[in-house]
Amino acid sequence: MSRKTALTRKSLEAQALRKRNISSYLLTLPALLWLLVFFLIPYFIVLIYSFLTPGTYDVKFTFTLDAYRQIANGSYLRPFFLAFRLAFFTTVICLLLGFPVAYYIARAKDKLRNTLLILIIIPFWTNLIIRIFSWRIFLASEGVLNSVLLKLHLASQPLELLRTDLAVILVMVYVYLPYMILPLYSVLEKLDFTLLHAAMDLGANEARAFFSITLPLAVEGIFAGALLVFIPALGAYLIPQLVGNQQSLYVGQVITYKIKNIPRNWPMASAMSFTLLLLVALLLLVMYYLYRRRLRSRTY
Amino acid sequence: MLRMSQLKRTYQGLNLTLFTLVMVFLYIPIVILVIYSFNDAKIVTSWKGFTLNYYLRLWENDAIKEALRNTLLIAGLSTFISTVFGVLAALGLENKRFSGRKGLLALIYTPLVIPDILMGVSLALLFNFTRVNTGMLTVLIAHITFCVSYTIIVVQSRLEGFDYSLVEAAMDLGAKPAAIFMKIKFPLMLPGIVAAALLAFTLSIDDFIITFFTSGRGFDTLPIYVEGTIRRGAITTINSLSTLMIAFTLFLVVVTKRVRKTLISSL
Amino acid sequence: MTEIRIENLSKDFDGFLAVDDVNIAIPFGELYSFLGPSGCGKTTLLRMIAGFEIPRSGRIVLGEQDITDLPPYKRPVNTIFQNYSLFPHMTVFDNVAFGLHIRKTPREDIRAQVHKMLALVKMEDQASKYPAQLSGGQKQRIAIARALINEPKVLLLDEPLAALDLKLRQHMLIELMNIHDAVGITFIYVTHDQSEAMSISDRVAVMENGRIVQSGPPDDIYERPASIFSAYFIGETNLFSAEVVGLEDEYVQLKCDSGDGQSFEIDSTFHFTPVLGQKLTVSLRPEKIAITRGKPGNQDDFNVLRGTIEDILYLGTHTQYIVKVGKLRVRVFSQHKRVYFDEKALDWEEPVWLFWHDTDTWLINEIHEPDQGNINPESVGSIQRGKRAGAN
Repeated sequence: MSRKTALTRKSLEAQALRKRNISSYLLTLPALLWLLVFFLIPYFIVLIYSFLTPGTYDVKFTFTLDAYRQIANGSYLRPFFLAFRLAFFTTVICLLLGFPVAYYIARAKDKLRNTLLILIIIPFWTNLIIRIFSWRIFLASEGVLNSVLLKLHLASQPLELLRTDLAVILVMVYVYLPYMILPLYSVLEKLDFTLLHAAMDLGANEARAFFSITLPLAVEGIFAGALLVFIPALGAYLIPQLVGNQQSLYVGQVITYKIKNIPRNWPMASAMSFTLLLLVALLLLVMYYLYRRRLRSRTY
Repeated sequence: MLRMSQLKRTYQGLNLTLFTLVMVFLYIPIVILVIYSFNDAKIVTSWKGFTLNYYLRLWENDAIKEALRNTLLIAGLSTFISTVFGVLAALGLENKRFSGRKGLLALIYTPLVIPDILMGVSLALLFNFTRVNTGMLTVLIAHITFCVSYTIIVVQSRLEGFDYSLVEAAMDLGAKPAAIFMKIKFPLMLPGIVAAALLAFTLSIDDFIITFFTSGRGFDTLPIYVEGTIRRGAITTINSLSTLMIAFTLFLVVVTKRVRKTLISSL
Repeated sequence: MTEIRIENLSKDFDGFLAVDDVNIAIPFGELYSFLGPSGCGKTTLLRMIAGFEIPRSGRIVLGEQDITDLPPYKRPVNTIFQNYSLFPHMTVFDNVAFGLHIRKTPREDIRAQVHKMLALVKMEDQASKYPAQLSGGQKQRIAIARALINEPKVLLLDEPLAALDLKLRQHMLIELMNIHDAVGITFIYVTHDQSEAMSISDRVAVMENGRIVQSGPPDDIYERPASIFSAYFIGETNLFSAEVVGLEDEYVQLKCDSGDGQSFEIDSTFHFTPVLGQKLTVSLRPEKIAITRGKPGNQDDFNVLRGTIEDILYLGTHTQYIVKVGKLRVRVFSQHKRVYFDEKALDWEEPVWLFWHDTDTWLINEIHEPDQGNINPESVGSIQRGKRAGAN
């Protein structure tokens, strides 16, 4: 008969706990190593390269602060400014368009809701480059929109729609709209609409009810959506490249050119990448701070 | 009461209008693309009559076939590997007391909040620094890297809702840990695993920018090929190729819906 | 016969003592209940018997076998979980067959046994359905079949009826008793519901703060509660703080505090020997008290009290009167609104007589703390039960 003492049982428990810990390490090890080697370490290489001297095809391993000096003296301000402007407008327009849509879906009947969601998701699943390409067909000077406008005599000559900053924003909104709608939907879906009725019952008009009830409760969705749109928009390359023009180069384009085009300037690309990374980190910190403060101020 | 129902109607009417407009916005380019893929004209100007010419030409284009093969190969392999990593890591993360949990979660979530282009740049420099020749292998590595966070998160979120009492029930009925995993845990994780794999597959097929930085000359995936063709202005086959890819997307949507339905109905 | 013995069993969770030195022996074939409010340790005790929790100390012996440190899959016991825990991805048939399947029983045997089990729980025609397609009561039956097919020596039931509605609960209770009679093994039943425990069990152990405070047949616990907790948790009762003022051979005289500085005297039989001047508590079940408008005649062996009706609650099966005696509120259950046929029904604010036999009081050797309250005016019948249980 085994009559184990309290002490041995306690150590048995500790042993079981240790075993679980070890198996957790082993199970997460492949992903951990992978992300360390191919995600984290490469950023250190970016950091190192940003202090090197550019060569035509490669880098020279001589230390210099040139790249950062050029960023600091403002020579590369415009690509950053353009990227932030683009990200800002894209986010705002996505929010303005996405909110009513998410609201509509959230309030639709259960059966309809899934169909509507699928309708939102299909374009999102369609290949990005194809969606951009289809806008080129639509906006080109000999494209669909222009030929319709000419036929209806709304324009006397083809309008220059493609290769404008406006076209870039339009296509960005088009591509990132689902990223805004889906998180908004997931909070609005959980929203208790009887609150809204209660507010209206208490005499709030619909605008008041919206601003005092719906909006504050949807803030989490707005945060998530804004994050999902703003950050990728900062690094946009493909859309400005395919529907924008060469007068307005965004930071993503400049980085890509410095890497891909000859003469290469990898230190510059690295320094810009690292600067962008720091700006994103700063942005995330601010968002996190705002979010935390909101959570704290919440009394319910 | 009357006032409220009126308000509700205006509200919904306004929302319906906006919703319809957004839908038109989302679908117009796609519809136009599909229509023009049957247009018998060299450049997209106006309708010149129906043709299947470009679909035939697509079939004869070896570069496209090669790009398609590359895309599917990379997508298949990166989906498989990142899903395996994802399942293992999610199982490891299930242990809430695991001491490295917080740090690991931070490492997993960070790639999701950093612009893609930075991952592309950093991998390009990594491969340059280590003198690895870019090509299929580097693209595969890159795709696994950006997929693995997603697969971990999807599988993990499914495990979060896992009813642990089912494990106890199985133990109670005489099942040992290995049998419990095979007969209870894995089958119940399967919908999450399938969802993760589908997401990884879609991400891999869709990716342009990271592939652009990590593929060498001579290894094109479809997005890389399409972009190059557009840049060179030789776009005649792109319409039909795009239409096929859209059809594939729709097919995927239908299939996943079916798969999800059968998986969910079995739960 | 195989019995299950629990010796000095304790369990703590990070210093919180959930089960505190429990000793009990359960004879084979009994339907034994652990009854107590949530957090009393009854579920932890059950989970230690099942093997899901490792005890801090003590042991569990099943027949000759010490099972304290055996993993769950090596124990000849099976569990019915509170939420049934049916495997959602398996049919009813596969759920029930699971245990046999694990033991690599031949296919034909599995089929035969599963059908036999499904017949026992009256679910033969549902074999190919999935759990999601079943109602709560049906899931319950499948959970029972899935456990019993392994021919356990003991079946553990963790609040098995908690998720069912009242009607179904009563129905399943009878069903469970029938199944227990049919299979003849030991059932250990954990519940917070005293009426469930009372009606189904051969014996009940009342638990409080990780300890068993009283165990015995249901009527014994009801009629002879060992503590204020037992008296209060099981059924309903009136508790009086009293002092022993007279000792006779057959009974004691008690001076009860009526809360307003006054007191009244009652006589009571006793089961332990009180001493003169001792303070103790009197438990008096509401249904033992008769209530009349007129003064009762023969008063030998009866206690008589004068009070005023404060509240009348008609509950269908009986009427509950709240009668004020001094500052005390005495609860009385009466099945007739009219005690005599020529009498009109008792009314609010009416002065009444309460009387009961000396043997109907029960003395508890504990001092009744005033803050435990005598009667909460809102707590009536099943509602009171629900409230105590509601903390679960």
